[in-house]
Amino acid sequence: MDLAFSKEDDEFRDEVRTWLAQNAPRTIDRPRSGPAMREFDLAWQRKQYEAGWAGIAWPEAYGGRGLPLLQQLIWQEEYGRTGMLPIDTRFVGLSHAGPTLISRANEDQKSFHLPRILRGEVLWCQGFSEPEAGSDLASLRTRAEIDGDQLVVTGQKMWTSFATIADWQELLVRTNPDVPKHKGITWVICDMHSPGIEVRPIHTMDGGEDFAEVFYDEVRIPLTNVVGAIDNGWSVAMSTLSFERGTAFTINQVQLSMSVDRLIEIAGSRRSVNGKPVIADEALARRLAAARADSAALRALTYLGISKNTRSTEPGPEGSMMKLHYAELAKEVFELALEILGPRSLAMPQDEVETDWIDRHLTNFSVSIGGGTSEIQRNIIAERVLGLPR
Amino acid sequence: MDLLPSPEQTEIIDSSAAFLRDRLPLLRTRELFDAPGGVDEVAWAEAAELGWFGLGLPEDQGGVGGGLADEALLFREIGRSLATGPFLSTVLAARVAAFGGNAELAASIVGGQRVGLAMPIELAIVTADGLVDGALQLLDTDGDLVLVATPEAAMLIEVAALSEVESVPCYDPAVRLHRATARGVRPLMTVAAATDAVERRGHVLAAAMLTGITEAVRDLASEHAKNRIQFDRPIGVHQAVKHPCANMAVQAQIALAQTLFAALTVDEDREDAELHALSAHLVSARAAYKSAVATVQVLGGIGFSFEHDAHLYVKRSRVLSLLFGGTDHQLDRLLALPKSL
Repeated sequence: MDLAFSKEDDEFRDEVRTWLAQNAPRTIDRPRSGPAMREFDLAWQRKQYEAGWAGIAWPEAYGGRGLPLLQQLIWQEEYGRTGMLPIDTRFVGLSHAGPTLISRANEDQKSFHLPRILRGEVLWCQGFSEPEAGSDLASLRTRAEIDGDQLVVTGQKMWTSFATIADWQELLVRTNPDVPKHKGITWVICDMHSPGIEVRPIHTMDGGEDFAEVFYDEVRIPLTNVVGAIDNGWSVAMSTLSFERGTAFTINQVQLSMSVDRLIEIAGSRRSVNGKPVIADEALARRLAAARADSAALRALTYLGISKNTRSTEPGPEGSMMKLHYAELAKEVFELALEILGPRSLAMPQDEVETDWIDRHLTNFSVSIGGGTSEIQRNIIAERVLGLPR
Repeated sequence: MDLLPSPEQTEIIDSSAAFLRDRLPLLRTRELFDAPGGVDEVAWAEAAELGWFGLGLPEDQGGVGGGLADEALLFREIGRSLATGPFLSTVLAARVAAFGGNAELAASIVGGQRVGLAMPIELAIVTADGLVDGALQLLDTDGDLVLVATPEAAMLIEVAALSEVESVPCYDPAVRLHRATARGVRPLMTVAAATDAVERRGHVLAAAMLTGITEAVRDLASEHAKNRIQFDRPIGVHQAVKHPCANMAVQAQIALAQTLFAALTVDEDREDAELHALSAHLVSARAAYKSAVATVQVLGGIGFSFEHDAHLYVKRSRVLSLLFGGTDHQLDRLLALPKSL
């Protein structure tokens, strides 16, 4: 048991840190929506690719670096420290659809799509949730009929991030309505420029329009775009979850720790409504301290998960645990931020630093909902880790 | 970087768990509720022979030469078992004796001389002249010495030098409690934190015991949720029961991870060791107490009975969270530290 990294890993960290310091774009320069945002994110991806930093964990055969787990962790930690967004429009391609293709797609699909993702040529989006299929994802109804060598898709998806600017979609469709619900689903690659697709942005409580509803009216998709096999899509969808093996939340975790430290500074320098320093409010100060302990523990949890995954290919339950702990802590931290700002937290926009706190407070309402609600995570932990009955 | 136990550490876990199961099970803890010292003398002597009280002490000071991580793994098992006796203060006292230059006393403590823990009622317990002055509560004290550990220094004082020592019943029936007053008592020896961070190690070992408690109640509550049938189904099918159990599993993992991380920052003498030791005590104290409280609720009526063990975990977790200044004081200290990244 030890915390030290090897000399090679330390050198790797120095290399990553130096390169990021010289090359990472500033988040403040990033457009907040539309084609300009797409172009900004793709340009950053191209820059990483050209310098040999794209796809840290991806196989070298498809343009990745194929680096071991500890170096993935180091890359994520250093990326987090730059303050760049943990998730941008590249997320589905790099962290969800891409990893699924790596683990389940055929050679033609992999060699066509994976290099394009890494080279920053395309954006992906996800077509999983539906109006009537949220936590119960397997009850999805978007229908796909086989017609010759094509699937014909009709239905509706919901909560698709960046659908207006994406090129490809990982799409779950119902190919067989007459079997138990998990057994009639197919995972297919959908071209977002296909005729019959209509995208309607969803305006969210944080003021964003990153999400959308996607409507499909007899959209034709070649059968060669099916990943895995017809009716076997549920297992394909579930195979992604293990890909990042404990490093998926590292960027968020590092930035949340930085946010807590920054809030402690702000609380020391600002006055409260009673004219005293905010930090003099003992209850609030202690919540800040507790958040500091919890963010330390979140990193320790990440390290414990990675230690297990280095030895075993079967990922432990840490993923669900990290997601739960992160979601609760993030909501607490950004609520604290607004309490520290006090009456100033009403005016939008303010100076750039404070606007960011308000945005993050609002955006983080989604962390305990997206990607499986906290309630679903608790079911998973209780049933798979503790063996409680369903 | 590796937070998993080595084969040698797994041996520490397995052998200590087996010893505790065999020699100091909860049934034995219950038998000792009314015993004067509250300690199983034979088992205590055996634990000393196993090297428990010098596990983390350097070999040239008469110890086994292990790290704080090794001790944390042992104390996680002690916490889980709710074993009775001053394990924590005895292990820390051996360091005070050794680093205070009294090799003979260190050897005696490593060999099984028990040292209780003096918990100050108010934090300011040491005068500018290095005297202990103020009201104390003594935990598990049946010998001649007690340990006082502050962030600045750790010291051993003689029970005979204290005034108004009186035995009082404790909230935790498995803990022996005395009230006492120190009137300008000169410690037998004092070891500054700069020489050996005894109090910091205390936070980590308390955190380890609290981790063991969290794991114990997680398992207790989950088993009940699986086996208790009401309305013709196990009560664990309901999210109102299932989710508290899941929370315990998450809290146990968080407590374990942070405790091991903190132990290693101490072993590797890192600058952020204080931050991680305090964080470990804080997150583990919350994990254990909240999980134990929720366990009583999951158990229902039987959980409220004295006969069931659930309340013993609630009580021990409160005792351990109050050590070394308690939660609020630890939060205040944590907030005052520089950032770690």
